[in-house]
Amino acid sequence: MGIFGFIKSSIGQKYVVATTGLLFALFVLSHVLGNFLIFVGPEAYNMYSYKLISNPFIIVAEIGLVVLFVVHLAVAIKLTASNMVARPDKYALQAKGKKKTDPVTKAMWIQGAVIFIFMVSHLITFKYGTYYTAEYDGLVVRDLYKLMVEVFASPLFVVGYVLCMVMLGLHLSHGIQSALKTFGFNHPQYEAKVRTVGLGVALIVSLGFIAQPVYIFFFQ
Amino acid sequence: MSIKPNTELKSNAPSGDLQTKWQRHRFEMKRVNPANKRKFNVIVVGTGLAGGAAAATLGELGYNVKSFCVQDSARRAHSIAAQGGINAAKNYPNDGDSVYNLFYDTIKGGDYRSRESNVHRLAEVSNNIIDQCVAQGVPFAREYGGLLDNRSFGGAQVSRTFYARGQTGQQLLLGAYSALMRQVNKGTVKMYTRYEMLDLVTVDGVARGITTRNLVNGEVESFAADAVVLATGGYGNLFFLSTNAMGSNATAAWRCHKKGAFFANPCYTQIHPTCIPVSGDYQSKLTLMSESLRNDGRVWVPKESSKGKNPVDIPESERDYYLERIYPSFGNLVPRDVASRQAKFRVDENNGVGATGVAVYLDFKEAIGRLGKDAVSAKYGNLFQMYEKISGENPYETPMKIFPAVHYTMGGLWVDYNLQSTIPGLHVLGEANFSDHGANRLGASALMQGLADGYFVIPYTLGHYLGSTALAPVDENHDAFKASVMAVKAQEEKLFNIKGEKTVDDFHRQLGKIMWENVGMSRSKETLTKAIEEIPKLKEEFWQNVRVPDDRNVKNAEIEKAGRVADFLELGELMARDALEREESCGGHFREEHQTPENEAKRDDENFCHVGAWEHNSAGWTRHQEELEFENVKLVTRSYK
Amino acid sequence: MGNDNSTEMTIHLKIWKQDGPGKKGEFISHEAKGLSSEMSFLEMLDVVNEDLVRLNQRPIEFDHDCREGICGTCSMVINGEAHGPDKEITTCQLHMRKFKDGDTITVEPFRAKAFPIIRDLVVDRSSFDRVIESGGYVSVNTGGAQDANSLPINKPDSDLAFEAATCIGCGACVASCKNASASLFVSAKLAHLSFLPQGKIEQDARTLAMVRQMDTEGFGACTNTEACEAACPKGISVENISRMNRQFLKASIKER
Repeated sequence: MGIFGFIKSSIGQKYVVATTGLLFALFVLSHVLGNFLIFVGPEAYNMYSYKLISNPFIIVAEIGLVVLFVVHLAVAIKLTASNMVARPDKYALQAKGKKKTDPVTKAMWIQGAVIFIFMVSHLITFKYGTYYTAEYDGLVVRDLYKLMVEVFASPLFVVGYVLCMVMLGLHLSHGIQSALKTFGFNHPQYEAKVRTVGLGVALIVSLGFIAQPVYIFFFQ
Repeated sequence: MSIKPNTELKSNAPSGDLQTKWQRHRFEMKRVNPANKRKFNVIVVGTGLAGGAAAATLGELGYNVKSFCVQDSARRAHSIAAQGGINAAKNYPNDGDSVYNLFYDTIKGGDYRSRESNVHRLAEVSNNIIDQCVAQGVPFAREYGGLLDNRSFGGAQVSRTFYARGQTGQQLLLGAYSALMRQVNKGTVKMYTRYEMLDLVTVDGVARGITTRNLVNGEVESFAADAVVLATGGYGNLFFLSTNAMGSNATAAWRCHKKGAFFANPCYTQIHPTCIPVSGDYQSKLTLMSESLRNDGRVWVPKESSKGKNPVDIPESERDYYLERIYPSFGNLVPRDVASRQAKFRVDENNGVGATGVAVYLDFKEAIGRLGKDAVSAKYGNLFQMYEKISGENPYETPMKIFPAVHYTMGGLWVDYNLQSTIPGLHVLGEANFSDHGANRLGASALMQGLADGYFVIPYTLGHYLGSTALAPVDENHDAFKASVMAVKAQEEKLFNIKGEKTVDDFHRQLGKIMWENVGMSRSKETLTKAIEEIPKLKEEFWQNVRVPDDRNVKNAEIEKAGRVADFLELGELMARDALEREESCGGHFREEHQTPENEAKRDDENFCHVGAWEHNSAGWTRHQEELEFENVKLVTRSYK
Repeated sequence: MGNDNSTEMTIHLKIWKQDGPGKKGEFISHEAKGLSSEMSFLEMLDVVNEDLVRLNQRPIEFDHDCREGICGTCSMVINGEAHGPDKEITTCQLHMRKFKDGDTITVEPFRAKAFPIIRDLVVDRSSFDRVIESGGYVSVNTGGAQDANSLPINKPDSDLAFEAATCIGCGACVASCKNASASLFVSAKLAHLSFLPQGKIEQDARTLAMVRQMDTEGFGACTNTEACEAACPKGISVENISRMNRQFLKASIKER
């Protein structure tokens, strides 16, 4: 049994979802921080992207992210399915009064499904989208900024993007603190701080990502 | 050892020095070789403190145990509701306590109507209980230094009560339950939950098994064994309203009685002084507020001129703190029977409070002023919260309203020093037996007795029975078992077929009213005679006019209740008869004809220093006596003044 | 008789009726008249059941026993809330004064795969017993225990142990969790024993056994919605769940 039994147990699976989720949260946090270069200008943004892509280790990072994503998704689906089996019959009414629980915490799988669809379309739109180029000081790089301006010219796309980022924000707002609690961080001394960190990261990520298409739509 | 019924009521306690009795008895008892224990099948009915502890301990010793309970889990037995604490003679507070002190207080508290040998043994093993429970992980209250804390309870001038906030019974029961589940895991104990014992099976006058109803599917079946241990609690619910759980009943004990076990002192009923008063006709049960509240709460009623006023507006000078006035040395901590009776007198004098006038105040104003609200909350918070949930009033701001309610029954099946009933092989533990509390039980002694019987007495005395008795092999195919199953099914059939007009609860409420009015806190020849006339009539009507709905082969609460009420209707009559026969007042039994000029109970040691044990027979009942011999304690008039 | 503040009420009940295990259930409607605001919720059901018997119908089966909030037997979901609309309460402690005259009240059994319905509102919670059976104890036989005061325990730990130990095993945590997870129940028992030196000795084995039994019984996983803590009649903290997770990881790593 031991550690392999651990991975098979419900708590072990929670640890896997929590670990992969937290690592993914770190990725989106770094992603949103890097993307703030959009507000500096096309050159800063494109050069940042060039430096990222031209790094030979990027492939390792990409594979890592794919693995994280697949594991997070697969184990979460498995857990959600067995959780649904554990409660086969639903109640006629939901708690409304003092025993009501935050609906966000109960809809993680819905947010997750939206985020999954978004991720696929996000990769198709940007990573595998039209390859424009730009030249800075003789260096030819991919002009992602141009692609972005083009994509976010569509109000429909912007609205969709914003909604997806709201979902991501909600997912993180519960996910980060939930993951930390799963790891065992729950103590009167840290409870409030854990909550603040979770909400803080969720806000930075979602508002940060929302600000970018909105800025481009209105100002570019 | 003889295998004849013990109809001569021999206590079987060794003679000689009281202090060494139990030690000598343990040495003299027969034992069962460890390897042979698993060859013996033992049935334990009930999973409260006594039954749970017994089943777990017998399992540990290696016996093959079957444990039965009516609840859906062994953890829900009504011992769980005991609030205040458990006594032990540890003398940790250094206030001069000793085994002999605890023995003496318990004898005196019981108004000199219990057996010295049993009570001394109880006091002796009280210390082992605390050690055992702590080893199991029972989280008793502690001091900051890490040692155990104690508090005071009624009838004692030392602090010897160990407690776990207001949930001592819960914590002790969960300890016994965990020990029991450990044995279930080991395979020494097999659990039967949601099973109700409906008959004792005897073969040649020896208890050899039980017949049960599976409460989930109605199946009636029998189980054979080498000995039966009954730990099914008291019969307080025959009053309809009591602090017992809704499922608490006398059926298992009563059916044993009808199979030959003598029923001792049925009239000894404890009316607990601090319960939440009745609020309406729909009332289904009464809730106890722990006796520990009387450590800091003061009991009072308004004086004449302030009647009907809001209690918070009544000045000190207009309050009658009657317990402190009448009993200056024990004050609010007089024993339960005394406190209850005084509350009744106040109501009888028309000095009761609340909308019904059937209540007195229990006030924490002084304690909150002295200790602060936080300290009071730390001690009694959960009790205050419980009171508020039920009554809708905040006891931090306005005094609690309380009134006595039926709480515990000291009477029960007669047992000897080995806890064996008059039927060989049938052992009775805890509240179901009559043995240790005399005519009145002191607070925090029920938990002590249940665990003493289960952990530290029955494991030895049952071994003695099994080791000294030659039992022929018997199984469920024996005619006695088949006849028992048939009889149980026939009674069930009869109940279903009456198809009358009144519900089971209609009858139960009616019985309760007769009992409370005539066999309650004070009794007289007149009221008891009335009860003895009325109860059989009600019983007759029950068997002609009760309605038991629905099917037999399903979960059916009405058939469960019907069988229990049928038994209460018989036990109620016996209780009234016993009370009538006992021409004295003692402890919880107060005969109006026998009182001092100050309205205190007046014992008659000349004629009634005995146990009244009733034998059931075709003519009704025959009363037998076990004389109580006091070799160590001098009988005096109980005084708490 | 009658309490100082008693008022009369009529309540429209929608109660789950199911003839037996695995049978199809449905809500039946019943109008309960002439109730008192001072009744407890279960006394209201008593009145309804007696009316049903008088009308020659079968009463509704429900579990109840001590009626003072400690035995953990009563087990219903009232208007979507386990033990009804008040915090730190069991159904038997709920009083009709929490409702308004003319209200409709929906009453359902606890619903979980690990709590199969026996009849109407009665469910089978023996899965809890089996979890305790797997290791929820200190392995000491009766007799031979050392003097109780030879093992001092610091008061804060002892108090935390007590708070976790106040669990009444009612199953409201399972009933209110969207995943029907028993994490609060299991972790409360683990916490009770792990705060005490007596319980520390077997902590690893106990944690492994109880968590595995919890999974075997078909309870769901915890997703930290904290619905259990909100529904718990004894206010047991979800902190215990985090502690269980940590201890389970540690015990798994150490297991041989």
